[in-house]
Amino acid sequence: MRARVELGRAEQVVRYGGWPSLVVVALVAGQAMDDYGLTVGATILIYAILGLGINIVVGYAGLLDLGFAAFFAIGAYTAGLLMVELEWNFWLTLPAAVAAAAVAGVVIGYPTLRLRSDYLAIVTLGFGEIIRITVINLEVTGGPNGLTGIPPVTLGGREIVMPRDFYHLALAFFVVVLAATALLARTRLAYAWRAVRADDTAAEAVGVPTRRVKLLAYVLGAMTGAVAGPLNAAQLGTVDPSSFTFLTSLMILLVVIIGGMGSRPGVVIGAVVIVALPEVLREVQEYRGLFFALLLILIVLLRPQGVWPYRPRRFRLPAGAGPAPEPVSATGTLLEVAGLSRSFGGVTAVADLALRADAGQVVSVIGPNGAGKTTAFNCVTGLIPPSAGTVVLAGRDVRGRAPHRVAAAGLARTFQSIRLFDEMTVAENVLIGRFARDRRLLRPLSRADLDAVRRCLDFVGLLDAADRPAGGLAYGDRRRLEIARALAGDPRVLLLDEPAAGANPTEKRALMGLIARISALGTAVVLIEHDVALVMSISDRVTVLEHGRTIAVGPPAEIQEDQRVIAAYLGVPDDPDPDLVPEVPR
Amino acid sequence: MSEFVQYLVNGLTIGAFLALIALGYSMIYGVVRLINFAHGDVFMIGAFAGFGTLTTLGVTGGTALPAIVAAVAVGALTTGVVGTGIARAAYVPLLASPRLALLIAAIGVSLALQEGVKVLTDARFKSYPNTLDGGQILSGSVRVTWGQLALVVLSVALMAGLWLFVTRTMTGTAMRALAMDRDAARLQGVNVERLILVTFFVGSLLAGAAGVMYGLYYTQISFGMGFLIGLRAFTAAVLGGIGNLPGTMVAGVAIGLVQSFSAGYVSSRWTDVIIFGLLIAVLAFRPTGLFGERVVERA
Repeated sequence: MRARVELGRAEQVVRYGGWPSLVVVALVAGQAMDDYGLTVGATILIYAILGLGINIVVGYAGLLDLGFAAFFAIGAYTAGLLMVELEWNFWLTLPAAVAAAAVAGVVIGYPTLRLRSDYLAIVTLGFGEIIRITVINLEVTGGPNGLTGIPPVTLGGREIVMPRDFYHLALAFFVVVLAATALLARTRLAYAWRAVRADDTAAEAVGVPTRRVKLLAYVLGAMTGAVAGPLNAAQLGTVDPSSFTFLTSLMILLVVIIGGMGSRPGVVIGAVVIVALPEVLREVQEYRGLFFALLLILIVLLRPQGVWPYRPRRFRLPAGAGPAPEPVSATGTLLEVAGLSRSFGGVTAVADLALRADAGQVVSVIGPNGAGKTTAFNCVTGLIPPSAGTVVLAGRDVRGRAPHRVAAAGLARTFQSIRLFDEMTVAENVLIGRFARDRRLLRPLSRADLDAVRRCLDFVGLLDAADRPAGGLAYGDRRRLEIARALAGDPRVLLLDEPAAGANPTEKRALMGLIARISALGTAVVLIEHDVALVMSISDRVTVLEHGRTIAVGPPAEIQEDQRVIAAYLGVPDDPDPDLVPEVPR
Repeated sequence: MSEFVQYLVNGLTIGAFLALIALGYSMIYGVVRLINFAHGDVFMIGAFAGFGTLTTLGVTGGTALPAIVAAVAVGALTTGVVGTGIARAAYVPLLASPRLALLIAAIGVSLALQEGVKVLTDARFKSYPNTLDGGQILSGSVRVTWGQLALVVLSVALMAGLWLFVTRTMTGTAMRALAMDRDAARLQGVNVERLILVTFFVGSLLAGAAGVMYGLYYTQISFGMGFLIGLRAFTAAVLGGIGNLPGTMVAGVAIGLVQSFSAGYVSSRWTDVIIFGLLIAVLAFRPTGLFGERVVERA
């Protein structure tokens, strides 16, 4: 496309001036091309629209869809049937086609959201085949012959039949869809999609309503792709079932794979390659498919990220600290867990756990590995349902609620094995933590979001790293980033799962300082930790678990003297090093 | 009633091939977490290799048991080598890449195999010599041929062999360990790359044998035959619970029965709608398949 200018500048040019100039190029090229070129050009634009649709599902949300042609078909058949049978005007069929695809998106999306990603792929593939076979078998859809006699589009009393006119129509459609998806890419939803793609469990735990977010990806992707259906029907004057095969789904998927997942400029490149290359290869007709297949393998082996990979947008964080957050009016007991039990099969992991944390307190849970500490955390946060017991958060019962609802009620957590969104930047990771406070999806980032991101990064000392990818951070910084993400939702209670694991003495001291500052905000901190010295020096109260049962509760001084605790966990003083608690790496 | 029994017999025969193909999907998914899209095409390669063997031997018809055994053996070994070669060239280099890259590579390999065979065969159907014509065990209202029995017996023997391999040998045990945790297996001294190749070899071997059996049974083969059968077999692997070999065998036979009964009582035009509809319905209620899977999804 463009000569390789200096990378940073090229990026800027593309981000702010690339699209208008691309449209100008497309218009100029449209004047120069003959009818054949214009027809190929219009097909490229149709595939680019399909690509923008699947880019939402696969590129942003990471849900592999191998049956995307189904939505193309649904759009084409809905519009075609309405035009042929009911003699609707093309422009009226357009919203109907989009609506039908949205319904189909819900139908296929809703029951399959729980599935692991590979099964999702096969289910979407099956769905695509179901739609294709159904339209071939039904009488109303014209069987294997499809629909014929679809009238051309009329615009201002003029029929669009010439290839040049149709090319302009397709270009106009593309520009509208591009603008819509560009707006979508700036919403909070787009960030939520990328978080879900990176780690949906972590996203759910910090407050992203993952099921709704995934379903929206299906529905919005289907609606976008469906726009191409009526356009295709109007171009050909027919709807032919053989144009919605698995191979079509594959071609649409390849548009984003070749271009680069999540990248809109990449979609355009991908559409050009997918549509134009077979035309170029027409001379060697019989080797075309083979050539295409080998090209595909080569691209994946040599450039798996695509020709024009997605680059994260830099955050424009406010220069100065924003207004201080409204103080969380926190007093009294914030977390009250009673009678919490959980068993797996016959094994009781947690039995009858009671845990209380008041505003500004640090409460610790200690115990040997396998004592049930993390299981207890998972029950409290809703990640796994408890078998019995109550979890009351700031006066509200949250037991058995979805993790994102528990997070929204004011409970944030970190994970023992750090779970960040590695492909996102540091600032974007913290932004996802904001969903606990504000779950709205179809809005751009608010000033409050950016203020909170800046404040939390500053709080843990990572402001300078804001635009770096989270995957590239050093271990200690990753721990701090996870805490910053948890703080972004202004939690009332913060659950930290072994935050000092693997930290050196300096980092541990810094961590103790950080925990003290968090509790000074009025947040209740619940800590799972093996570092006894750290626990004893900062905790207000300590709960000791062994084999799922609570064997002692009390202030640190009492716990250190408790004979049962010494026997089960702390060990007798003549141990070689009382601070060195054996830790099994996981 | 006799209709029902006839569909049952046909379904069991089809199920015998499908289970063999499904096992390959399941094993390969277990060790590399890849839906090996090319697996259906490996099956197709097996059918052509068996065809080549029979025509080279000059078999034209009748009951030529040694020739049949030779064809199955050559078909299976060919696909074993082809499958291992594919894994070595296209999949192993991508083991550390995102999973999607691996899947796309598999789709590319699938297309390449289909298109390659299409060019080589001029996109024509090939007809197997009618070597399974050993007469009928039962005739009359329900027909059972010796050929059908032979195919089912062969399939059961291969599955039993696989079961012994997976449970009784060191390599099979390592394979199961690999399916559960690749890093832990590596730390215990398992040569992961080699074992992955062995898995591809065994899985492709079964698919190749199934390919020859398909050719013997249906007699018509073509470059595109692997796609739909591959999809049905993968459906069986998912329904059986991926990584769960006994579950996969049962589900393979079950899909064969569904195919036969839906073709008999509804219409063969709706067979795949019914199979995929069943897949979606089962997964909506049991996300890990009917019998539960035996693999752990890595984050």
